[in-house]
Amino acid sequence: MIGQTLRLKVAAVSDIAPGLRHLRLVAADGGKLPPAAAGAHIQLVLAGPGRSFRNAYSLVSRPGARDAWDIIVRRVPASRGGSAYIHEQLQAGDTLEAGWPGNLFAPVRTARRHLMIAGGIGITPFLSYLADFAMSGGEHALHVCCREAEKDVFAPWLAGRSGVAFHWDADGHRLDIPALLAAQPAGTHLYVCGPAAMNDEVIAAAAAAGWPARHVHCEHFGAAPAGGAAFRAFLARSGVEVQVGEDESLLDAIERAGVAAPCLCRGGACGVCVAPLLEGEAEHRDHFLSPAERDAGRLIMPCVSRAKGGRLVLDL
Amino acid sequence: MMHSDIKSRPAYQALEPDLAGSRHLLVIEGEALPPGRLAALSNTFAPVADSLHTWLTGAPAAEGIAGKLWQLGGVEDVLDTLACATRGYGMGDRLYVLGTEPFLWSVATAAALIGFGPGQLQLEHAGSLRRRVWCTHCHGLTENVTTGIVACGGCGRHLLVRDHFSRRLGAFMGVMVDAEAPGEIPAIEEVFA
Repeated sequence: MIGQTLRLKVAAVSDIAPGLRHLRLVAADGGKLPPAAAGAHIQLVLAGPGRSFRNAYSLVSRPGARDAWDIIVRRVPASRGGSAYIHEQLQAGDTLEAGWPGNLFAPVRTARRHLMIAGGIGITPFLSYLADFAMSGGEHALHVCCREAEKDVFAPWLAGRSGVAFHWDADGHRLDIPALLAAQPAGTHLYVCGPAAMNDEVIAAAAAAGWPARHVHCEHFGAAPAGGAAFRAFLARSGVEVQVGEDESLLDAIERAGVAAPCLCRGGACGVCVAPLLEGEAEHRDHFLSPAERDAGRLIMPCVSRAKGGRLVLDL
Repeated sequence: MMHSDIKSRPAYQALEPDLAGSRHLLVIEGEALPPGRLAALSNTFAPVADSLHTWLTGAPAAEGIAGKLWQLGGVEDVLDTLACATRGYGMGDRLYVLGTEPFLWSVATAAALIGFGPGQLQLEHAGSLRRRVWCTHCHGLTENVTTGIVACGGCGRHLLVRDHFSRRLGAFMGVMVDAEAPGEIPAIEEVFA
């Protein structure tokens, strides 16, 4: 369903904390939305100054819900435009273009136990996990690391949910990640979603505790830093040269030029937008290509990666 | 007989300690051990000897084996001990099993029930090629099958033993050999000695 779009209407907007806005979205035509499972996200097309942005947000509504989708958007200080637009301009009754739901972070159904670790707004995919486990009875625990002031923000989504613990930066309240990981029984799957530094720390701690990599799952959010020095990219098959600005991604520039570029997560995770690189050296920022693929220098993920030199040639 | 065009037929590799693991359990079917294999395994597992337990069935001489040695009676003893371990099993545990296929998969399916994932388990085949056979008709299991055609222990039908393997059941598929022409049963030969 990649490529198909949906028209959504904003049914409700509410600020649940400073910088955190909850949106309820319904189908603009009043019909039913496509179902989405726990861990799914949608891409929203958001107007920004002079151009539009496509941002991905986790659905926090009940898995399978077809009447409405809920998302929670944190205002990013150095917003490219997407989150600022949602916080400053979007109002109930407005309509938005969205992609079909995608899911790169579904819970593993064969797991004996699900251990979730969230950093801040990284709790969002786990809100749908909790709803799923409440239905399925899956054994689980969610550890949320956040600022103390924010620990009650998600209370409306946690009512009646079990196995949730909050941690913050104060004596007696910090999460001892190595101890937590060492204590998990065989059959546990670990899911982590938070800032890059926290994700890396948890993944490294899991490896140190002997966790097989296939039991460790990570969703990177927020944008891998999309900006950087401006450069040019020549799209060989289309015969188009695009200028990639400092504050936009290569994928944004390709889309602006009207060249078809399938994508799903826009965060360097899913691999859908991977493109053959014919000339030039890439600055890889994705989580998808293997070290060997990076070294080979024949592929690039235009949603997050950029040019090391001033110009790239892509087979697009 | 260890190779097949049927993709479900498992392939096995020589055991090697996974240095990423934090606790290691080596389970060996003593009756299936080729001469010298135990000494070679002790060398291979020397790097993890401090966190290694070895369970050995059938009680062959086992001097100088790496790690802490426990001698057990047979596969039932292994399965009971595995299920009853009071310390529980964690994500850093690694399980290594050596033996015939019925032994390997008895332990592997019991370990899967406990929660061991494929990344925590290694299997190495040794000894007889005898198979456990699952009857597609009565769903009964027939143990220690060494012939290409076997009378099902459950329903008595003569089954053709295929290479088609179920990891869930730890058994090869057996299908009625004379379903099309009742009574016409080919010569029964030992092929899984």
